[in-house]
Amino acid sequence: MLCQNCGKNEANFRYTQIINGVRKELNLCSDCARKLGVDNIDIPMNFSSFLGDFFNDYVESSLLPSLSLNNAKCKTCGMTYNDFIDTGMFGCSDCYDAFSGPIDSLLKNLHGTARHIGRGTKNTDEIPKVNKKIDKKESKNSELEDLQKELDKAIKEERYEDAAKIRDKIKEMNK
Amino acid sequence: MNWYLQNGKESDVVISTRVRLSRNIKGIPFINRCSKDELKEVYDKVKEITPSLGYNLKFLSLDDMDTITKQSLVEKHLISPDFAKTKMPYTAIVINEDENICIMINEEDHIKLQVFTSGLDIDNLLNLAIEIDEKIGSFIPYSYHEKYGFLTACPTNVGTGLKISTLVHIPALQMTGNLNKMLNIINNLGMNVRGLYGEGSKAEGDVYQVSNNQTLGITEKEIAKNLNLLAQKIIDQERLARKYLSKNSLKLEDEVYRNYGILANARRLGEDETIELLSKVKLGTDLGIIKELNDKKIRELMLYTKPANMQKRIGNKLSVIDQEVSRCETIKQILQQD
Repeated sequence: MLCQNCGKNEANFRYTQIINGVRKELNLCSDCARKLGVDNIDIPMNFSSFLGDFFNDYVESSLLPSLSLNNAKCKTCGMTYNDFIDTGMFGCSDCYDAFSGPIDSLLKNLHGTARHIGRGTKNTDEIPKVNKKIDKKESKNSELEDLQKELDKAIKEERYEDAAKIRDKIKEMNK
Repeated sequence: MNWYLQNGKESDVVISTRVRLSRNIKGIPFINRCSKDELKEVYDKVKEITPSLGYNLKFLSLDDMDTITKQSLVEKHLISPDFAKTKMPYTAIVINEDENICIMINEEDHIKLQVFTSGLDIDNLLNLAIEIDEKIGSFIPYSYHEKYGFLTACPTNVGTGLKISTLVHIPALQMTGNLNKMLNIINNLGMNVRGLYGEGSKAEGDVYQVSNNQTLGITEKEIAKNLNLLAQKIIDQERLARKYLSKNSLKLEDEVYRNYGILANARRLGEDETIELLSKVKLGTDLGIIKELNDKKIRELMLYTKPANMQKRIGNKLSVIDQEVSRCETIKQILQQD
């Protein structure tokens, strides 16, 4: 039998559709079946459904919190911890606080950290602020490194008086 | 002219770039926990502020849209395939005439803001996205957490809510056997890479989507910088591979023109085969081998050989077999244009 859609290939796919008790049968070739999307078995699988299990592992490894967490429920939207395991999706903003403990481990696994450092909501000058902080830290670190090198050099050259001065400087910076 | 028919920076390798921001409205549950009324609340709120946003944005309900139009948006990568198929009520897009801004309403999150450009232009694109984001944020309070940043339904988007992705066309890396090496490097750098067409690891048409995984604990600028660096490396490597292929010019010309010959003269072409043929023909055009073609025609061929956009162009609904014939006619028309 030839495919009822394209009429050129041998049909090797039978598609039965029952809508409101009306039965409709189509014989299709595999190409047309794929194109018409009838050979797709839609397994409910996505990245987020895997996430739930990731989340689960973290809790199992710390037995005590898991007991209380399994009953944990977001007061705002009513999502339970088990709901999250099933879908990998949070129900509302407050879920982040309701399950906050293990969320940190999950986020660390996903992003390497659990703290936001990007833009804020209203305050757009938050970016430069963050950058400045990092810059200060970095410049301090590089200064420390330079001093440490100087100190090593001074000791090597047996200039102990200079070395003592540099050492004091480093001590002060580390305070 | 719409952005996807134009050329951009580094267009010989980078087809397009997209910046996406995921946002949710404060006080309304995420969409998987939304009641019908709450979905409507999101829908109405965004609809109400759309005229105030500027950019000539229009609010279009997905319920009012026919399947082919929705599919044509998927083919232009303006909306996700799942969003086109969703049965959820109160879904919409906010889109402008140029279609370089397309905001999905009630997709995975309340608001998924997207901006697009052809070629590689991440910094300008990010600025535009942030500009629109701040405008929306000034009308609608976002769900924001001191520690976790912008909150999203899926924890893979939380923090900045920012995903930047570029589509790269890298046939020469594949032809010289360097593709897997490149894909491994991209993965090792913590970026996500997948074939745009086709299933699993096989990418039809040698087009790959590269995007960031990390959205939390990293600034928007850093994400942009990292993706820029990576894209530049991919461009360099692909160009190197093309140079190498050009050394054996007869072999390359033969390969390119064989594909062009089929594309231009076949009487029936399926969608997948066309994608493969176009990949080599685009390569030949980018390298100046096929002189009778130009970038604009390549862009048109890539868009109007896709089922929904082809049917919209013709103005008729066609069966799969009729599409194969129409595809060849469409190709001929585009090739013969001045």
